[in-house]
Amino acid sequence: MTGSDSTSGSVGRTVARKEDWRLVTGRGNYVSDLELPRMRHVAFLRSPYGHARIQNVDASAADAAPWVDAVFTGLTPAIAAVELRALSALPSYIETAQPILARDKARFAGEPVAAVVAADRYRAEDALELIDVDYDPLPATVTAWEKPEVPVHDGAPDNVLLERAFEAGDVDEAFATSAVVVERELITNRHAGNPMECRAGVALWAKGENKLTLWSGTQVPHLVRNMLAELLGLPESNVRVIAPDVGGGFGTKAVLYPEDVALCIMARELRGVPLKWVEDRAEHLQAAAHARDHRYLMKVGFSAQGKITAVQADVTCNIGAYSVYPWTAGIEPLMAGGLLTGPYMVDNYRCVTRGVTTNTAYAGPYRGVARPATVFAMETMLNLGAAELGLSDLDIRRLNLIPEDAIPYRMPSRLVDDSGWYGRALEGCVEAIDYDGFLVEQKRRAEHGEEPIGIGFACYNELTGLGRAAAAGPRMPFRTGHDACTVKVEADGSVTVMSGVTSQGQGLETTMAQVVADAVGVTYDAVNVRIGDTNEALWGFGAFSSRQAVIGGGAAHTSGVALREQILELAAAVYEVSASELRLVDGRFLMPGVEQPLGTLADVARIAYMESNRLPEGFEPGLQVTRFYDPVRGAFSAGAQAAVIEIDTVSGELTILKWVCVEDAGRVINPQIVDGQIAGSIAQGIGGAMYEHLVYDESGNLSTGTLLDYLMPTSAEIPELSIGHLSKPADNPLGVRGVGEGGTLGPNAVLAGALHNALGVELTRLPITPARLWEALR
Amino acid sequence: MQVNFSVNGRMESVDVEPRCTLADALREDLGLTGTHLGCEHGVCGACTIMVDGQPTRACLMFAVQADGCSITTVEGLQNDDGKLHALQQSFCDRHGLQCGFCTPGMLMTAMDLLHREVEPSRERIREEMSGNICRCTGYVGIVDAVEEAARTLNSADPTD
Ligand code: FES
Ligand code: FES
Repeated sequence: MTGSDSTSGSVGRTVARKEDWRLVTGRGNYVSDLELPRMRHVAFLRSPYGHARIQNVDASAADAAPWVDAVFTGLTPAIAAVELRALSALPSYIETAQPILARDKARFAGEPVAAVVAADRYRAEDALELIDVDYDPLPATVTAWEKPEVPVHDGAPDNVLLERAFEAGDVDEAFATSAVVVERELITNRHAGNPMECRAGVALWAKGENKLTLWSGTQVPHLVRNMLAELLGLPESNVRVIAPDVGGGFGTKAVLYPEDVALCIMARELRGVPLKWVEDRAEHLQAAAHARDHRYLMKVGFSAQGKITAVQADVTCNIGAYSVYPWTAGIEPLMAGGLLTGPYMVDNYRCVTRGVTTNTAYAGPYRGVARPATVFAMETMLNLGAAELGLSDLDIRRLNLIPEDAIPYRMPSRLVDDSGWYGRALEGCVEAIDYDGFLVEQKRRAEHGEEPIGIGFACYNELTGLGRAAAAGPRMPFRTGHDACTVKVEADGSVTVMSGVTSQGQGLETTMAQVVADAVGVTYDAVNVRIGDTNEALWGFGAFSSRQAVIGGGAAHTSGVALREQILELAAAVYEVSASELRLVDGRFLMPGVEQPLGTLADVARIAYMESNRLPEGFEPGLQVTRFYDPVRGAFSAGAQAAVIEIDTVSGELTILKWVCVEDAGRVINPQIVDGQIAGSIAQGIGGAMYEHLVYDESGNLSTGTLLDYLMPTSAEIPELSIGHLSKPADNPLGVRGVGEGGTLGPNAVLAGALHNALGVELTRLPITPARLWEALR
Repeated sequence: MQVNFSVNGRMESVDVEPRCTLADALREDLGLTGTHLGCEHGVCGACTIMVDGQPTRACLMFAVQADGCSITTVEGLQNDDGKLHALQQSFCDRHGLQCGFCTPGMLMTAMDLLHREVEPSRERIREEMSGNICRCTGYVGIVDAVEEAARTLNSADPTD
């Protein structure tokens, strides 16, 4: 690595997280905890229909109630003046106009229709009952691959908002000469990110100025500031967005929601009164972004030896009622089409992928975006091909993984893979799970008629830290390849980092401090990190697509290194020594051959700020640097998972006996945090594969509207996880690769594969429930 | 209605509507926002507190039902000298939290477990903690932390 000659060495170590003390003592500062003078509370009235014309909204009784401060509907002029349109330059794309509060029709159950402001949440909810909405129900479409009776949006008569084709090589020719061609329809289930803290916001419009402050659990404060300024016609600097402690995000909070905008508009109407909205779980399940309701029509050819000859796919993603703002309806379909072939060598590829609007909650970013589904599709096809060819699941993978000497490898979707350590990740799993021991035990059980066990594998590549040239995204009017970071030395010699990264639990306060401590040459404890406030950091896109370690970390490192140079020049002039020989280690200035430090950073900082009379000729006061960083390309992370499961053939119950994962996080900034990211994402993947499923009935009612029906895995369901690391340094200043999402990519495929291995049954529709398994066994 | 109870050893008196939940009374009236609300329907466990020594979901109890009770919340876990409770310390050390939103409920549930069982196995910990949902950690760090806190408490010098 370039840069640090510090011996303090914070990077690579597990250090005490800066966040933890306040969080374990109940002194966190979440938006839902915020209390401001004269604060009022907001509740939203939501559509009980999946699809309905709104004939009339009568809010007069609510308006007249003495305990109500204000009522807003879709017809309130201030509300009606704004709508959300996610933009994309993709040729076939049809925009949707998402109202802040539904006006002419409701397009999904849970869509906000009106809002009430009152002294507390109880009273606000009381008033919702006084609002009379006259609905005229319409036939709803909930399945993306069924023709709509009444389209969701007039502009898209077939409900298709976007379609894109990928084509590489000669697919037809390859199928014609394949030894085996497997075709399947695979359907994945609908999940929600479901962070434990639901969405929350507090908006305050200044009494005497057009200035808006929004405290929000958002993952993307600068982006929210930019969007709000544009939507509300404010100069950007008059909007301040603050994301304090946030109770989980996982992509769900990377969206700008109509509820957020409604809160700000209502705050403008009620100047000087802080308005607070804290979503409850029932609202969250209905109206926060969903994901992964996909169908894959797969056709994969294999040579007699088991090499993939061609992959053809028709992918349909249910993107729900609106094209999610600002990510668009393209987020899932394009990720699906772009990364479907995963870490495998595929020359011939044809894929049509589309986003279809339906009368369900809109789909947005959720940890892993589409790839838990594509990995399931690809790995399932590999297992089926292997079965037909008489190969093991392991051999067919070994045969087809992108080898190290093929790097850089241009995927058929033209993304360039810089990893190549897929074989190592897989072999790491084979060893950790004791594959040979498994084979012996599987055979023994079969011979003794004991409950069967099976093993499943998944190999995947996670595209992380996308720079400006690699954006796989749906051609939005912004590129998210860069972040800024400001690092300064304060007058007391402590170091402050103002970074554009955000944290919803990933410990960015800690990791940014580690990076900067090493880059500058001070101790971890000397660094204070301020994140999540648009008035402090210059710029940052925030948390999504595993970008922050690479991009935010890169910016922190680059600005830290530049600051160290600035410090050393000043110190060299102060101490009258050569700057090239002077070193800053743990906040002390050292010269080779001189035993005692020449002084401390605090000494020099004091001169820089307080004693300009001692500033050497040509130096300005202050010690501060701001740098942007953009990795230009992305960094692929290789990963593999494997599990051994046992099946109770009587009940259809599946027990996970062993789970292993090997991932390449590049250079690890903080081992404990990296392991935590991987463990947490595997758990979400297991939840999604076995328990979590958002179900709509035919008329568009969500029948899994509480945590009693939408089952999240607990400590009793998640097994012990064995996590191994490869550390192939990536081509960026810190050598890091993102790790936030990879874990979610494996479990669908691993569990379906293990079932297939144990019993020969195919589950082509997720989730894998005991009932489905029991049925498959009959 | 006037309701009196003790919270973390202090007598408190709040004036609440009968429908006000205990969680809301603690958070809104007393400013004890360490007790979190993750579902408000009794499933997630984030709101777990101790009421008369029993782990209780504060979202499922009305404040008026707590009249005369003795309540402990996460804010009352630290020792009198400000030192972290063994569980708080082990959650930090073993990465038993990421976003921290489930943490107060996890700590209270774990405290109840360690009051009842001195040396729970990992399986027992997993069983006992299964009424609390964590979306971030995958539970590994939480199980590690509870196991370690049990060890710490068992080896603690009683005169300390
Ligand atoms: S908030 Fe009480 S159990 Fe979820
Ligand atoms: S630490 Fe985030 S929910 Fe448990």
